Amino acid sequence: MLIIHLVSQEWKKNVRAQGFYRNLAVSLLLGIFALYMSVIFLFLGFSLNELLEKAHNTLNPTELFNGGMLYILLCGLAIRFFMQQLNTVNLPPYQVLPIKRSSLINFLLLKALFSPLNYFLLLVVVPFAVKSVVGYYSAAVAVRFVLSFIFVVWFNSFMASFLKRKYGSNLLSFLLVIAVLGVIVALEYFEVFSLFHVSKSVFGFIVFKPYGLILPLAAASFAFLLNKWFFAQNFYAERFNRKMQGDKVFNANLSFLDRFGVVGELIALEIKLILRHKRTKSMLYLSAFFLLYGLMFYTQPVYASNSGMLFFIAMFMTGLLMFMYGQWVVSWDSAHFDSLMTKNVPVKTYLSANYYLLLSFNVLCFVLTTPYFYFGMKIVYMHLAAFIFNTGVNIYLLLYLCTYNTKRIDLSKASAMNYQGTTFKSFLIVLPIMFVPMILVTVISTFFSMTVALWVLTILGFAGIVLRQPILKLCVNQFNNRKYKLAEGFRQGE
Amino acid sequence: MIQVNKLTKVYNGVTVLNLPLLTIPQGESFGLVGNNGAGKTTFFRLILDLIEASDGEVSIEGQKVMRNDSWKTMTGSFLDEGFLIDFLTPEEYFKFVGKLHHKSEGDITEFQDTMRDFFNGEILETKKLIRDFSKGNQKKIGIAAALIGEPKLLILDEPFTALDPSSQIRLKRFLTDLQTRFNMTMLISSHDLNHVTEVCKRIVVLEKGKVVKDIETGEDTLKELEAYFAV
Repeated sequence: MLIIHLVSQEWKKNVRAQGFYRNLAVSLLLGIFALYMSVIFLFLGFSLNELLEKAHNTLNPTELFNGGMLYILLCGLAIRFFMQQLNTVNLPPYQVLPIKRSSLINFLLLKALFSPLNYFLLLVVVPFAVKSVVGYYSAAVAVRFVLSFIFVVWFNSFMASFLKRKYGSNLLSFLLVIAVLGVIVALEYFEVFSLFHVSKSVFGFIVFKPYGLILPLAAASFAFLLNKWFFAQNFYAERFNRKMQGDKVFNANLSFLDRFGVVGELIALEIKLILRHKRTKSMLYLSAFFLLYGLMFYTQPVYASNSGMLFFIAMFMTGLLMFMYGQWVVSWDSAHFDSLMTKNVPVKTYLSANYYLLLSFNVLCFVLTTPYFYFGMKIVYMHLAAFIFNTGVNIYLLLYLCTYNTKRIDLSKASAMNYQGTTFKSFLIVLPIMFVPMILVTVISTFFSMTVALWVLTILGFAGIVLRQPILKLCVNQFNNRKYKLAEGFRQGE
Repeated sequence: MIQVNKLTKVYNGVTVLNLPLLTIPQGESFGLVGNNGAGKTTFFRLILDLIEASDGEVSIEGQKVMRNDSWKTMTGSFLDEGFLIDFLTPEEYFKFVGKLHHKSEGDITEFQDTMRDFFNGEILETKKLIRDFSKGNQKKIGIAAALIGEPKLLILDEPFTALDPSSQIRLKRFLTDLQTRFNMTMLISSHDLNHVTEVCKRIVVLEKGKVVKDIETGEDTLKELEAYFAV
């Protein structure tokens, strides 16, 4: 009975959240994306048997899959550790009501298992089990195979939430996890220690023996009890919250910015904002990943002839931070927007500060991507053109268009895959910035040549740099016109 | 100091504020009272150019505030937590606001020292971020920050709520002191009729966006207001 109430209250919380309907467009787009991924996964599931049959000459696909299971488990755990949002019920209002605490905690923990995202990989596993495992062994083994996978998902979900609650995800744990995974892969590669063989025998036992399923079920229960233990240890929300908020306050010396006057002060403020909030920090980590995009594309001969695509990658990487930060350049200040608008900050100064911040991000990313110059002069020219185009054109587009993002951004909510504050407009802002140059390059290089295309973009970029003052003036006017809409939107919480 | 001309604000067809003419001279302490929804905060937001007037205008020292930056140098304000920058420590925040007014580090430290009495030892040197302070202490931080630039005009929305009794008395003394020493113009809204009649020389009562009373504070003011609000 109680559980039903809790479930219905959670549902109301979601449906009654402001902006639920306004965000329908975003949800729709995400839905289409999910559908697309589902199709790909299903396709993979049906073709996995053939792929694995070709992969090894002595082991059959099921054995190979079992060998990979511990890797899947570990990677899943790592991904969950960083991406999975901790389930929270706002405890205090319930704590004072006559509800048994253990029911609350059970609800909190079990709720996570009902997220459909958990079972996404079943789209691969079930077709594979039906097609391959049944074929090689029997239906009973196939059922156990699928069940063992589900138990692994449960184990991962519980374990990740325990580890995350206990240790929190910060840069150190991030590096640690990456290092551990790296070591395991290295040991396997140099044939010192094979996790593959361990995994093959463990999961062989689980899948082929009738009572083998006890093992993963026991592991999942153990992880569940670990969570219970954690909550028993941290009975009071106060102690629990201290753990969550215990992030160290960034306190580096930014006094070198003092000499730039009010603009410098504003930039220092934005840097503190970035380093003192979860959402912005995870944006930085994510950017580090995206910087490696070039390795994927520049090494593929398929893309070498596709100049539009290559330029897209070059522009994306050289302007990475600028795009990630810039698409919400005013919205980051949404919580203290009224403050900035009534304090002695002229609009022009405010926008100039943001301009210089974006500019420095741009320079930073350009410098960080210089190792790609190793891939040849073509890349050098492309990165240079992209850098100049970003500096002279895209930077202003961001400053101008960001004024259409009128939703408050909650900086305290963390991490990747966080779409809070994203509306349909946010997509409309980014699309032209990302794709117009790509189309431009494709068209010009088809009719003339890549060199001409790059020169056109470079000249556009230089024009933008020279015309900085009048263009910024335009942005100031736009900001002044949109100011009331922004202030009104930012005052409305979720 | 402030000149209000035919100012109206309409939300979805409902007029929430309608002030045909209102003048607030330099050095006046102006108290604004009214029940919830009377338009007090809307009026303050219009003065601070945070919302767009449906019609009419507000001028500070002859300058229209709309899409203008010049009034910001002489205006200090604190309406709600949105006026704080909550991921800074109080010291960092004071320094930031001080720098916006071109103050030196020394000036800012000196300013903080004058506030120690008001802060009651709970705000400075605590190494806490503003977001971790209680509502009352956040309010003190906001009020203090509004005063850093030696404003000619101070706008406070319900400054007494959420403060403890001692802080309320300190704040009253402090505001009266600012009036006599700097001849500062003040706009204060409050639900506490006692406090507002003590601090302000002129009281304006708003109801449904209209001025219904505009009185000089005298001996009978409090009684008159209490009679007006009695149900």
